[in-house]
Amino acid sequence: MGSPESKHLMKQLSETEPLWNAWQEWTKTNELLRETETLLNDPDPSMRSMASEEHADLQSQISDMVVNKFPSLVVPPSKTTHLSAIMELKAGVGGSESALFLSELLRMYIRLATLYRWKTNTIASNQTENGGIKDAIVEFVGERAYDTLRFESGVHRVQRVPATEANGRVHTSTVAAVVLPMPEDTGSETSDDLFTMDEIRIEVMRARGAGGQHVNKTESAVRLTHIPSGITVSMQDERSQHQNRRRAFQVLRARLMDRKLSQEVVERRDVRRNLVRSADRSEKIRTYNYAQDRVTDHRLGLSVKNLESILEGDSLQDLLDALAKKHQDDLLQEELEMT
Amino acid sequence: MPRISHLLSSLSSALGPASARLEFKWMKQAAEQSDKGTSLVEMVERRLCGEPLQYIIGTQPFGSLELLVRPPTLIPRPETEDWTLRLAELVDPSPDRPISLLDMCTGSGCIPLLLCHTWRPGSVNAYGVDISADAIKLARDNAERCGIHVPTVTYGHSSSSFNTFKPLLGNIRDASFIHSLKLKPPFNVITSNPPYITRREFKDLPPSVRDYEDHRALLGDPDISEDELSSHLDKGLTFYRIIARLIANQGILADDGIVALEIGSTQANDVGRIMQREGRLNRIDVWKDPWDKDRVVLARR
Repeated sequence: MGSPESKHLMKQLSETEPLWNAWQEWTKTNELLRETETLLNDPDPSMRSMASEEHADLQSQISDMVVNKFPSLVVPPSKTTHLSAIMELKAGVGGSESALFLSELLRMYIRLATLYRWKTNTIASNQTENGGIKDAIVEFVGERAYDTLRFESGVHRVQRVPATEANGRVHTSTVAAVVLPMPEDTGSETSDDLFTMDEIRIEVMRARGAGGQHVNKTESAVRLTHIPSGITVSMQDERSQHQNRRRAFQVLRARLMDRKLSQEVVERRDVRRNLVRSADRSEKIRTYNYAQDRVTDHRLGLSVKNLESILEGDSLQDLLDALAKKHQDDLLQEELEMT
Repeated sequence: MPRISHLLSSLSSALGPASARLEFKWMKQAAEQSDKGTSLVEMVERRLCGEPLQYIIGTQPFGSLELLVRPPTLIPRPETEDWTLRLAELVDPSPDRPISLLDMCTGSGCIPLLLCHTWRPGSVNAYGVDISADAIKLARDNAERCGIHVPTVTYGHSSSSFNTFKPLLGNIRDASFIHSLKLKPPFNVITSNPPYITRREFKDLPPSVRDYEDHRALLGDPDISEDELSSHLDKGLTFYRIIARLIANQGILADDGIVALEIGSTQANDVGRIMQREGRLNRIDVWKDPWDKDRVVLARR
C-alpha cells in the first residue's frame, strides 16, 4: 500500500482530473474549429459543405461546454464521495401501518443497494408482531453511498388502505429517515478528530445482581453518551456487549460526522451572508400514493407513475439522479450569488 | 402449533417484555440459520422451561469470536469477555519474544482463545486445563472453529508463525498434573475463572444456572460437608488456594509473570490476601467489571 502522502496526492490528482479533462477538450475543440474555419472557403463545394456541417457541430459542442460543463466545474467536487452511509428509520404517524411501511421502505433501500453494489448490514431493528418494523439502523458500505442516499433524509409519507383497515378507508402514515455519513473503521474505541475517549460515558444497562458465574441471562445493552453534545446512542440488538459497544461507537461517529458536516455548511453560508435553505429533517420529502399508483417527490415537484418500480429500486435511481442534479444546481447558484 | 404471538407473550411473562422481545428475535434468527432444523417453537418452549438461551442457540459471542456452547460446560460471561480484552491490551506480547500461557479451569476455552485471536500471530503458546472431558472436547472444537492451531505435541516455548492453544484434560487439585500433562513451566501469564460460588449462594442461583451448568464449574468449595456449611470455610475460595500453592511450590509462574483470576464480587480482599500470603505475590490489583463490581485479582511478584 502507498504511504499517506502518496495517497493524499492520488486523491488530489483524481479530484482535479475533471478540470484537466475539460481543459483538454476545450483546447482540442477550439483547435478543430480554427482548422475547419479555413476549409469554409475551400474551392471544392463538397468540401465546403462538409466543413460547414462540422463547423456547426463544433460550435454547438463549444456552447454546450460553456453552458453546462464549465458551470458544473465551478462547484467544488464533493468531499464525501468515499463515505459509506448509515440510515436510521423511525416509524412516525400511523402506528402499525407506519411500521409496515417502514419494512417496505427498508426492502426498497436494500434492493437499491444491490443495484449500486453496496454491501448492507442491519445494525439494529425493532420488529413488531405483524411483520412491521418500528425502527431500524442499516449501514450501506460502498463508494458514493452517502452522497447518493443523503437526499433520502426527511419524512416519507404513505397514503393507502392499510391491510389492517376493515372499512377500506385511506390512511396517511409517515416514516422518518436520517442518513448519516460513516467514516471508515468506526467501531474502534479510540480518540480521533470527532471526539476524545474522555468525552464519552459508557453505561451498561440494568443491574446483574452478583454477576459473573451467578448469572447467565443475556444483558448486553450498552449506552454511550457524548458529553459535550449530549448525543446518546443505545444499542441492544447483539447478544454480546462487546459487539453492541462497537456498533454504538459506529453510530455515534456517524452522528458526530453528520453534525460536523452540517456545521461546515452553515459556516460557509454564514460567511457568504447567504440565506440558508431549509435542510430540515422534519420536512416531508416524498409521498407514496397507492390509490393513484404514483410517487411524488416534493423537492423536485415531480410525480412518477408506477409506484412498484420505485419500490423495486430502478425508478428510485432516476429520482436520486434528479435530486443529485438539483443539488448540484443549487450549489452552482450559491457559487454565483457569492461572486 | 402455538401461535407466534402466544409464544411471545409467554416469554414476556417469564423474562419481562424487553428481554422477551430481544431473545425472541435471536431465537428466530437462530432457527432460520439452524442446520439441525430446530424450530422456533421448540426453542421458545425450551427457554420457557428455564434452559439458558445460549445452550438453545448453541453459540455465544465472546469479543470478536463466536464460540460454541454445549451443556453442561459453563457459558462464557460478559464480565469474563470484558477483562479478557483488558488483559489482551495490558500484556500484548511480541512475536520476537513469544510467551506461554496457562489457563486453569478453561471450560469452553474462551479466555485463551480470545487472547490467541487478539494477540499478534506467533506471540503466544497457550494451554488450557479442565477436569471435564466435555469441556476439553468443546475447547478443542472452539479452537478449530476460531482457526487457532492445536499442536499435537506439547512444547515449552516453541516459536512458530501462529498462536497455538492446547486443551488438556487434567485435575489441577493434584499438583502432579503439571508433569503428567508434560507442561513446561514457567508460564508468563496464568489465567483462571475457577468456580467461586459458595454453597449458600448456590441454593439461590437462578435455575438456568443451577439446573443446567456444570456444578464443577460453579461451586467454589466442592468438598465442604453439610455441618461446615455456615462456617467460615464456606467462602468459595478453595481453588484460589490451590492456584496460590501451585505458584509458590511448583514454580509455574515466570519471574516477571502475571496472574489474572476472575473472582466473585465480594472475594477481592480474600483472594488478594491468599495470593500474597500463599502465592508469595506482592503486587495485587483489582479490576472492576462494567457493572462496577470487583471482578478480577491481578497478581505479580
